[in-house]
Amino acid sequence: MSSISFFRPANISEACELLAKPNHLAVAGGTDLIVKLRNGLFPNAAALVDISALPFKAIRKEGDRLLIGSGCTMSNVIASPEVKEYFPALVKAASTVGATQIRNAATLGGNVANASPAGDTIPALFSLEAEVLIVGQTGKRKVAIDEFFTGPGRSVLKAGELIEGFALPLRKTAGEFFKLGERRAHAISKINLALSVFNDGQKRYRIAIGSAAPTVLRCKGAEELLEKAGEINEAIIEKAAEFACETAKPISDVRSSKSYRKQMAGVLLKRALKAII
Amino acid sequence: MENLVKVTFSLNGRQVEAEVLPTMTVLEMIRRNFRLTAAKEGCGKGECGACTVLLNGEPVNSCLKLAASLTASDQVVTVEGLEKDATMQAIQSAFVSEGAVQCGFCIPGMTMTSYKLLQSNPNPDEHQIKQALSGNICRCTGYRKIEAAVKKASETRRNK
Repeated sequence: MSSISFFRPANISEACELLAKPNHLAVAGGTDLIVKLRNGLFPNAAALVDISALPFKAIRKEGDRLLIGSGCTMSNVIASPEVKEYFPALVKAASTVGATQIRNAATLGGNVANASPAGDTIPALFSLEAEVLIVGQTGKRKVAIDEFFTGPGRSVLKAGELIEGFALPLRKTAGEFFKLGERRAHAISKINLALSVFNDGQKRYRIAIGSAAPTVLRCKGAEELLEKAGEINEAIIEKAAEFACETAKPISDVRSSKSYRKQMAGVLLKRALKAII
Repeated sequence: MENLVKVTFSLNGRQVEAEVLPTMTVLEMIRRNFRLTAAKEGCGKGECGACTVLLNGEPVNSCLKLAASLTASDQVVTVEGLEKDATMQAIQSAFVSEGAVQCGFCIPGMTMTSYKLLQSNPNPDEHQIKQALSGNICRCTGYRKIEAAVKKASETRRNK
């Protein structure tokens, strides 16, 4: 760690050029990276590339999308009038990340780029059908959030690429986010779930479960059931919960067990549906 | 060879300079380079809040913030910088009179987070106090007295 260099690029192309080099690590909020560095998870780190000077901090409407810059902190996301108005599931998810001190530093881009299966904002972004806006040395590309992750800690992001932000279809949603952790505040999710509901002539349900598989999963079985059901009653909720349990393909690890997580996927969906109707 | 990074920022209201290692945190820098030892390292991973300082007015874990990231417009405030601040004095007095301090290790962080809470919400209820302090851990298990102290400090400030 003694010969690590530090860069704070002032523009995107400079940042991408640096990040294309081997063992150059992007730092935004640092709340995850610094812990990993100290724990020796990057023994070959050559440089830290601080991307916080890049123009990734805006939240703005563009056509039929809301663009949220990757450098927005959880606190920025929570305080945004647009995010509050359109995407309550994202506000609720961001509000459960760490505690205030973490939320004031941790960024939305970081939460996604880390690609933890337990990242709390990820199911919310799935439920809102977000696109990940990626910028690299050769140009820009967009990837649907459910195609972004390839495994725990892994994504389609290549060396020299950065997440610029997220584009969310600008439509009013009702939303919930529930998670289970060791305590009510400041805990890493054993399992989490986001639900967003919108109306495009018909009521649409979007459900995503996190920390229940190598990547976050959409629960399309339950979504279709709910959309076909019309009226949501106790029996439909029970049936939807069964789909959620079936969708979850969790493992046992330090935070929780496979069987508990599987069962709780259904419980969280029930709670979310009851909260929303 | 070490790659030192030169940083300029505002520390407790004074523009300062430091040369830091790329991996040095704000906490290490304020303790080592500036000898401001109120903020402490408890866990070193953002769980305990003993290292809480205000960065541009918002509480952050200084153990997770790279010192090299600071820029000339950044303002870092530690407990030492609030020595003469009436709200911080009210908080400190209330912590003493309520017996909220046992070993004291968590207290600088507790008071910084409480300070921000009272700045943004002068009359917090019990739930809001708990919520605000959820990123600060006390291992002497004195939360009830800490919560009472924050409540008392808010009353002192409002009745002034």
